[in-house]
Parts: sequence; C-alpha cells; structure tokens
Amino acid sequence: MANVTDFDRRWIFLAMGVLVVGLYTTGAKSPAPQLEYVQAYYDVIEALPDDSIVMLSADFDPASAAELLPMYQATIHHLLRKNIRVVNVATWPAAPPYTRNEFNQITPQYGKLYGTDWVELGFLPGDDVAMAQMGASLHSAFSTDSRENKPLAELPLMGELGDSLQGIDLLITLSAGYPGILEWLAQVGGRYNMTILTGTTAVQTSDLYAFYPSQLAGFIGGATGATRYLELVSEQTEAMVHARDVNQNRIMIQEWAHMLILALIVVGNVLYFAGRGK
Amino acid sequence: MTFLAQQALAERPFFDILAVPPDVDVVGAWLIALFTLCVFSFLYKDNPFYKFAEHVFVGAGTAFFTLQYYEEGVLEPVIDHIHRASGLIDSGGLLMLGGHGIDPTLGIVFRCIAAALALMLLVRLFKADSWAPRWPLAIMVGVYAALKMTGETQAKLVLPVKGMLTPITNPDAAAWSSDWARVEDTGVFFTIAALVVIVGTICALSHFIFTYKRTPLLGGVSRVGVVVLMITFGSMFGFTVLGRIALLIERVDSLGTLSGNGYQMMGTGTGTLSVMTSPPVLTAVLITLVLVLRKITGKDAGDTAST
Repeated sequence: MANVTDFDRRWIFLAMGVLVVGLYTTGAKSPAPQLEYVQAYYDVIEALPDDSIVMLSADFDPASAAELLPMYQATIHHLLRKNIRVVNVATWPAAPPYTRNEFNQITPQYGKLYGTDWVELGFLPGDDVAMAQMGASLHSAFSTDSRENKPLAELPLMGELGDSLQGIDLLITLSAGYPGILEWLAQVGGRYNMTILTGTTAVQTSDLYAFYPSQLAGFIGGATGATRYLELVSEQTEAMVHARDVNQNRIMIQEWAHMLILALIVVGNVLYFAGRGK
Repeated sequence: MTFLAQQALAERPFFDILAVPPDVDVVGAWLIALFTLCVFSFLYKDNPFYKFAEHVFVGAGTAFFTLQYYEEGVLEPVIDHIHRASGLIDSGGLLMLGGHGIDPTLGIVFRCIAAALALMLLVRLFKADSWAPRWPLAIMVGVYAALKMTGETQAKLVLPVKGMLTPITNPDAAAWSSDWARVEDTGVFFTIAALVVIVGTICALSHFIFTYKRTPLLGGVSRVGVVVLMITFGSMFGFTVLGRIALLIERVDSLGTLSGNGYQMMGTGTGTLSVMTSPPVLTAVLITLVLVLRKITGKDAGDTAST
C-alpha cells in the first residue's frame, strides 16, 4: 500500500463536491436539534413588549453571509412581527448593502415606516472605539442616518431614543469575528448593563459558551443554530417557511459531509499508523 | 422572481436578453456562476481562471472598502461635520459632541485638530524617522489600551469568574432519570457538569504556570489541563469545519438556483436542456475544457498544485 502522505488530496475535494451536489439534488430535509441557546434567543425577543426598541448590529460580510444572513432575515421578521422598533447599525464596512436590501424587502411586508418603526444608521468605522462611542453618545457617533442623510433628531424613533443606549431594550449582533460580539460585550454589555443576543458563525461559537447566560441572554451558533431559529420563527411567520426548508436541506447535507470527514479522519489515521512501521 | 416572470421566461424558446423581466438579474447570474467556479477551480490547481477571479476580487474589494471608509471616515465626520457646525454658528444653535451641547466653533476646532492628527500619520510616507506620526500613534494606543483594559477586564475576566462562583448543586433540578433524553435536566448531571468546569479550568490554568518547578503533582494536573485544552481545540476545529462546509453548501445552493429557473439559454422550467444550458453548467464546462486543453498542450506546467 502506498504511503498515505502520497495520496492526492484532490480526490477528497472531488468526493466532497460529489456528495454535496448529489445530496443537494435530492432536496431531502433534516430538522435541526433542540438547542437551549437558540430557544433562549427566541424567548428573549418573544418576551419584549410592543414598541420596544432593539439595536440590530450587522457585523459580517459576504464571506460569512451563508451562515449569518438567514439569522439576520429571521431576526428582522421576528422583531417586526412583534411590532418592535429597530435601530440598524453596522461595524463591518461590507454589511450595509445586505442590511439595506433586507430591510427594503421585509419592512413593507409588515407596513413599517422608515424613521418611525426602524432607522438605518449605517456603518461606523473604528471597531471597539466605535462601539464605545455609540455607548457614550449616539448623536455624536452618527450625526445623520445613512439612508436619508437626515439629522437624527428629525427621525421620530431617534428623537424618542435620545442620545444614549439607555433607551435600547435589547442589543442583537450578528457577528462574524472582529469586531463582533466579544467587543460588544466588552464595550457595551458590561458598561451599560444591556441585554445582548448574538448570532455567530460556527467558528466563533465555541467562544460564546463562557458568556452564557451571565452576559449573553441567548445565541445562535452557525448554520445548525440558524436552522433551529428559522424553525421557531417560521411557526408564526409564513415568509420564513421557504428559508426554513432551504436550511433544513443544508443541515441534511452538512450531516453527511461531516460523516465523510469523520470517515476520512479515521481512515487517514489508520493508514498513517499502519504505514509508520514499514 | 414573480410567477409571471417565471412564466414569461419558461416560454422563451431561446435566450433573449431583451425578453428578460427587470427583476431577473441574468448578468449577475452569469457573474456569480463564473466567479464561484473560477475560485473552485483552484482545488484542482492554480490556474488563470483562479488568478482572474482573485485579481477582480482584490480590485473590487479595495474600491468598495476605500469608498466606504472615505464616506464614513472622511466625508461624514470631517466635511459634513464642519458644514453642519457652520450652519449652527449662523443659527446660534449648539453642536452635540460626546453627548454634550457645545459651541459649534469649538466643534470645528476639535474636528480640525483630529484631522490634523490623522494627517500627521501620513508624514511617515515622506520622512521615515519624523516625530510627527508619534503623537497621533501615542493617542491612539493610549485610548485603545484604556478602552480595552477596562471593558475587556470586566467582560472577559471579572464577569466570567463571577459566573463560575455558583453552587455546584441545584435544588430545583429534576431527580435522576434513566431516560437519557432528560438526563441533562437532572441534579446529578448539573453537579457533574459544574465539577468538570471547575476542575477543567484549574487544570488548564495550571499548564501555564511557569514560575514553579514542575513537581509530579503540578505536572499531573498540567497534563489533565493539556487534555482539556486539546478537547477545546478539537471542538473549535469541529466548529470551523462546520462553518466551511456550510459555505460550500451555500455556494452549491446558490448555483443550484441558477440552474434553470429562467436563467437558462434554452429549454423550459428545470428540464435537462435548461439545466445543461444554465450559467453554472456552461461555465463549468468552459472552465474544464480550458484546463484540459492547457494540460494536453503542456501550458499548465507552471501552475502550482492545490494545497
């Protein structure tokens, strides 16, 4: 038997590609498991009274949209269905095109008015410093909104909110890395005693367990968490049913892809140790 | 896509861009297929398709980020700010800065000082050993360190430690159950989990004690800590794989929606002909043919293998 290190890894890429495309064409679905953290995320939003104000921060870019965009869409649907008002910000420069597109598509479905029910403050450069600046003074951080370029005081929602984050009932961040949830926790969570929820990429999920539930009221981790959240939201939101089905299909593919990786790890180790003595 | 648009496209006998409804982004579909498959072609080996996609990505990304940072880092906070403050000077109003209303003239002065500090950073481009960039750098480092030290200490040290200082028993937990689906809710499981966290944390921390001699006790505890760390790294690796596979599936899903559904050059609906003439399939065929031709003619000799 040839040495395992001589094996051309492109066969593995091909096997993974064939498996994913093949399973995709079947359209089969698999429900996500029950996840305590996702349920907590859902329950915190459900418990908010009407007309609460939520700050929704988009801290991601196209590279992580596969995992975070479904969460972002579902969160907007969830908030607007509950008649919760949304202040939309971003700390990643590539996020605003996504946020604007999603709000453009979703807000008309609930008859929400810009300026009254939601505002778009846009991207603020500065990472941690930008977050601290938002905590100190929203009107200094954003003198105008990014959608209509109006002074914040002219937007009814921002007029009611005032200058500080004290008027925000909940902060939700969809976080792909730095700056993201860990920086929000450090710059805003502890200082202003604010309830925080987050949805993150799978890579970042393992960092979050230490913060739940003391600092994080709930979180969604990766595509699996997103699918579970979509299942919960779609129970009362018809618009999310298709997205839920798409994600359940992805979960099914993901399960088999993981089985393939596990099998390859086992086979690779067996071949490696078997060939080491020769 | 609306039903009418789908219907119109389904009835189209041959690709006719003028017949495409405005809500169907045909050009975008071809670009998505082309760039996605160009990047995937790197899995075979480095090649001109991948290089093309890479260069376009870097160029487009640079342009986008430059524009974003110019708008949010220069245009809005400097030019618009000064314009707004000038208007307030005329009307006699106060300028909000840092949560306080101040004289607009002072607001302009403060912002000009900030802009001057930013420009001082650029002096290094002309004179490498100039003193000028040190002042803004010192301010940036000082402010950043202060922000990080206070916030991070609270969020990542004080509160997590406080979160750990909880009883290891939970009187409200359910009694022991032989039902494995409910075992997580039992008091026994709660206590075991709490002990694992406490022991794991102490053992992992002990691995980083370098100021004492490695006695058998410390070495043994440290070895358990290494196991805890390896389990953590394994978990992180698992999550990373989870994320990467999710990206692949999303790309396949994205390409799948472009197979038929009105984006095809021939055929109707999602039949074989429409799938075969859709952007992903035609682009894949084109890229494969070119790569095969390059291999046959020996022009791919300089391309490096996939890593």
